[in-house]
Amino acid sequence: MPTIRFLLADGAELAVEAQNGRTLMETALESSVPGIIAECNGSAACATCHVVLPEEIMVALGPISEHENDMLDFAEAPRESGSRLSCQVRVSDMLDNVSVRIPSA
Amino acid sequence: MSEAVKVVDDVTFEELLANPYPVFKRVRDLGSVVKVDAANIMMVTRFDDIMAIERDPETFSSINPQSLLNTVIGPNLMRKDGEDHARERAAMDPSLRPGVVKRCWAEPMQVICDDVISQIEHKGEAELFEELAAPIAARALADILGFDGVDWQTMALWSQSLIDGSGNYSHDPEIARKAREAASGVESAVDRMLPHHRANPNPSMLSSMLQADPPQTVEQIYANIKVAIGGGLNETRDSILTLILGLLQNPDQLARVRAEPSLWGQAFEEAVRWISPIGMYPRRLTRDTEISGTLVHKGEQVGLCVGAANHDDRRFSDPDKFDVFREKKSHLAFGAGSHFCAGTWVSRALVSQIVVPMVFERLRNLRLKDPELVRVRGWVFRGPTHMPVVWDA
Ligand code: HEM
Ligand code: FES
Repeated sequence: MPTIRFLLADGAELAVEAQNGRTLMETALESSVPGIIAECNGSAACATCHVVLPEEIMVALGPISEHENDMLDFAEAPRESGSRLSCQVRVSDMLDNVSVRIPSA
Repeated sequence: MSEAVKVVDDVTFEELLANPYPVFKRVRDLGSVVKVDAANIMMVTRFDDIMAIERDPETFSSINPQSLLNTVIGPNLMRKDGEDHARERAAMDPSLRPGVVKRCWAEPMQVICDDVISQIEHKGEAELFEELAAPIAARALADILGFDGVDWQTMALWSQSLIDGSGNYSHDPEIARKAREAASGVESAVDRMLPHHRANPNPSMLSSMLQADPPQTVEQIYANIKVAIGGGLNETRDSILTLILGLLQNPDQLARVRAEPSLWGQAFEEAVRWISPIGMYPRRLTRDTEISGTLVHKGEQVGLCVGAANHDDRRFSDPDKFDVFREKKSHLAFGAGSHFCAGTWVSRALVSQIVVPMVFERLRNLRLKDPELVRVRGWVFRGPTHMPVVWDA
């Protein structure tokens, strides 16, 4: 089981055991990670599950959909080069020990 | 130990229509699921319960082939779940994404708004429901759907007739007739417009549905365009009026928002929390389960009262107050889960970035003509129904 290191907006880190195949958003909700609201519960419709990933992980995850790309420009916290909707990213071994930052609005 | 559903039998339907919030509070404090006889529904009214329900669509399903909504408008995305729902939703989303709204719809919406305000600007007084909010909401929606040459009155009539038909639990034949007439009106308009959109791909919803992979069938297009007409006109209209009302009743907040235009978005979210245009929508139980300790059974229907959740004093302090500057927290006015409103980003842009700022810019020293004349009504759908105002022309 990979460990995801959520880096909270206040600077604290919350390391959680995650299950492969679940989304980062589901992983965050199960551990009540503050800042992941996920109003649409994973439908890529609300942009309230915004996270920022390291550059090398962005490259490894490959291109994002046109819909997600559009939505990210309207998340509350400004978009960064590592921005993703956490509901659209599935946990895999590649994310083991990776820092997933919750940007502050 | 699980509890049985409690019952409230001493509230009248008229009380709910006039002001549901005191009833919602009583019900919220009484139990997690309460049957309210006047409305003939089991209400869920607490914020956390509704959020939890919307994260469990397998237990709390939207699927309901026998619903009045399906009878009136045909099988549609609001009453589907899972992949079936996702495909139909994906077929309309390309018209409604926030970036598309900004790039494609902001300008035409600006033009509509300018036109409507220009017609009343010189008069110094108006009734804002009929003369401002309804025409703007209807014309903006017609553009987004890709309906040319349908006037706002027809859009408004279709919308109201479809809504009334979907709530026609007493089977009133006149309401049913009007709903059928609206349905066939929409279908003819779709038939008339499809060749144009097929030949000229564009950002409109009709065109998106044709471009979808796989393309939507004509039946799917008919039904989901009707959902957008029934669900996208009155709510937008009502939120325009509610935001104006909240600000006119609180001139200090209005002054701060006008001085700092980046606050318009926040003001809009507070308006739809304060008086949510959609106060309740249903889900159906696929198995026996408990909602915060109250037992509900397979096959039963619960009404998710998002209007009540948005006034839940466990979450919002002084919830009945319009306060743009309250502690920031998410609300449920656009629903939650996979059916989270498809038109969220359109209404945010139209109402908070275009219409209401322009109203306060152009209608100088805008004020209520007489606070006593303002009418706000409804519980499943709620909003100002009559709002006379005056300004310095
Ligand atoms: C302030 C304005 C609006 C509010 C408060 C609002 C509210 C809602 C709510 C609460 C739902 C969820 C209903 C349910 O789950 O059963 C919903 C769904 C929907 N809304 Fe809106 N709405 C607004 C504007 C619009 C607009 C402008 C459009 C179209 C352009 C629209 C199109 C839809 C559609 C298509 C659905 C169904 C989504 C689905 O089932 O996936 N809405 N809306
Ligand atoms: S949960 Fe709504 S966009 Fe990810």
